[in-house]
Amino acid sequence: MKVIKIEKSDLAAGLDKLRGGYRLFGPVKDKTSHGFQELAAGQAPDLAFQNTRLSPKNLVFPQSETLLAYSLDGNDPEGHIAREVDKDYSPRAVIGIRPCDAKALTLVKMNFDTDAFKDPYWLNLYNASTFVGLACDAPGGTCFCTTTGSGPFHEEGLDVLLVDQHDHFLAKVLTDKGEKLMTAAGFNQSADGDAAVEKAKTAAEAAITTAIVTDSLAAADPMALYNADIWEDIAFACINCGTCTFSCPTCWCFDIQDEAQGNKGVRMRNWDSCMFPLFTMHTTGHNPRDTKVKRTRQRFMHKLKYFVDKYNAGIMCVGCGRCVRQCPVNIDIRKVSALMNNVGDAAKCAV
Amino acid sequence: MSTYTENIQQIAQRLLKECRVEMVIGFRKGSMPLMNEPCVITQPEAVNQLVWDSNCGINLTHYLTNRKEKIGIVAKGCDSRNIVTHITENKIQREQLVIIGVPCLGMIDRRKINAMVEGDIQSVSETDDAVTVATRNGEQTFAKMDVLQQNCAVCVHRNPVIHDEMVADPVPEQNGVDQYADVAAIEAMTPDARWRFFDELLAPCIRCYACRNACPLCYCPTCFVDESKPQWVGKSQDPMDVRTFHFLRAYHCAGRCTDCGACERACPVGINMRLLTKKLNKDCLDLYGWEAGLSPDARPALDVYKANDPEDFIK
Amino acid sequence: MKNLLEHMGIEPDRLHFSWISSAESTKFVSVVREITAKVKALGPNERFVKKEAKVA
Repeated sequence: MKVIKIEKSDLAAGLDKLRGGYRLFGPVKDKTSHGFQELAAGQAPDLAFQNTRLSPKNLVFPQSETLLAYSLDGNDPEGHIAREVDKDYSPRAVIGIRPCDAKALTLVKMNFDTDAFKDPYWLNLYNASTFVGLACDAPGGTCFCTTTGSGPFHEEGLDVLLVDQHDHFLAKVLTDKGEKLMTAAGFNQSADGDAAVEKAKTAAEAAITTAIVTDSLAAADPMALYNADIWEDIAFACINCGTCTFSCPTCWCFDIQDEAQGNKGVRMRNWDSCMFPLFTMHTTGHNPRDTKVKRTRQRFMHKLKYFVDKYNAGIMCVGCGRCVRQCPVNIDIRKVSALMNNVGDAAKCAV
Repeated sequence: MSTYTENIQQIAQRLLKECRVEMVIGFRKGSMPLMNEPCVITQPEAVNQLVWDSNCGINLTHYLTNRKEKIGIVAKGCDSRNIVTHITENKIQREQLVIIGVPCLGMIDRRKINAMVEGDIQSVSETDDAVTVATRNGEQTFAKMDVLQQNCAVCVHRNPVIHDEMVADPVPEQNGVDQYADVAAIEAMTPDARWRFFDELLAPCIRCYACRNACPLCYCPTCFVDESKPQWVGKSQDPMDVRTFHFLRAYHCAGRCTDCGACERACPVGINMRLLTKKLNKDCLDLYGWEAGLSPDARPALDVYKANDPEDFIK
Repeated sequence: MKNLLEHMGIEPDRLHFSWISSAESTKFVSVVREITAKVKALGPNERFVKKEAKVA
């Protein structure tokens, strides 16, 4: 694997060279926290961050996204025909995405890119993007990526992985897309950095102090988990807000809305949340998930059981810890998973 | 405050053992520093889960709405005022409740502390007036006054206004605090500046509704933003829809809000939406001499007509 | 409501309340004159007006 050395002092100039061919996105600090946004001309990404407050999923899956536009004018020959709206799918580079968040996009891709259905909006943005990851040297106290199938130096979903070496970055070039971007930026100083990267990786993995326990989930009887007596206690504190789902890099659910103004209208999609009663409300008025306990159970069952069973690719969680940090009432997916895992263990013994 | 946890546990155990309540609603220790989790205890032997410290900012009255059981509930000053509001609004009956009053010294704003320390907080300890946090870089101690939630810093009702048990003697109330300096600063702006101020304030909103859902006042079976037949408010990130949500949410709290701060505390993106509800609190105080939830016998300001109600706004 | 709208930046002269009995025709006329003059002076309202949804 090719490793390239990038002096930190050269980074901004290299990124500037990219601007002709790429729109650049990266972490930027507002008053209190970092978030991904498009970098204006001359603006450098602020790479001094642990992770962004919200996940970068909005870069490929905007919270509100217009899909189609239409006219309701009967005299308009185009009237009552919904047309796709013009979008900018030109190449973009996402600089400084954390490995957990890049891995999360690969999990989301399983949903948006199947043999039967391909979501053009998500895929167009995803395929237009080159992901330059930033390895995590100092994981936080709520990071548990190493037990989710990800890790602070995990490469899945990335085109380039940057490893901070104080005065320079070692860039592992992982894909052709990554290679192309490095060439366009003029980064070409080969380095023999494998040992240094391995060393940093081992140190970072050792710095992850917490874990999520999931070993008995795959074998567990889904109905035993569903009917377990753990849910009332887990859900008691839950206020059914959308903080966990909206901050989660792997939550992909959305709602489609039409909004018309006068004769013109658009069809858009907005993030939705299984925590909201409206999420499952039928037009009849019947709501199959009519209590918060059912909704809370759904979220954890989806992430830790249904996804596991459906895709056989581990849990639908990358251990970024955002939901743990941001939940207003401290519902912790690590605790919930441990409780679910116990149920799985007990059910195994019963058989 | 060091004896609070022990006293809460003892009271809860007694209430459960004597079958005076079926459950006790309180806090258990959180899974991370500066956080606790609301919980319900139904067995006397489980009361040792209950804790009290300065990270119990969520308003437990939220968990009382429409419950039918006999309930023991741990309540600091603002919680008790919301319990009063719940009783007034028939969301719970006084006879169902045994209120375990907690004289409150204010709740810690974890975001403030997080912003002041380098690196992850590994552990926290506190006394009545200081908070010490440990990170991998060492320990740092803060005066509690400097790291309180803003609503706690200007709170004038720290002691429960209604209670059946008390975990400690009342604490002195804060005198001479300027409760509404922040609102007055906005009032002093021009309309243009105010419009821009709220544009900026609400820009980070992701419409997760944590503010609404953490609020004990927001118990409508279907919130106006969730009405779908017909739909009342757009569901997108359009700034006008976001503002409509915040404006109407605040308005629905008029004359009812106790400034418990649960909304701001719950917000994942750190919006101080209290600047809207506080304006209404200030107006209620200035115009009607009304503060919400001080007595179950008083009818709320927006519920009664008095001949001397100010009516300058009517031409 | 008027207070909160103004707090959020709606101009004070935009929203008016009046109580006019059906017998108070002259008051009705003068209030309407006053309101239209004030609102015209402000010009078209741009705030709390949703145009096309501004989203990605």
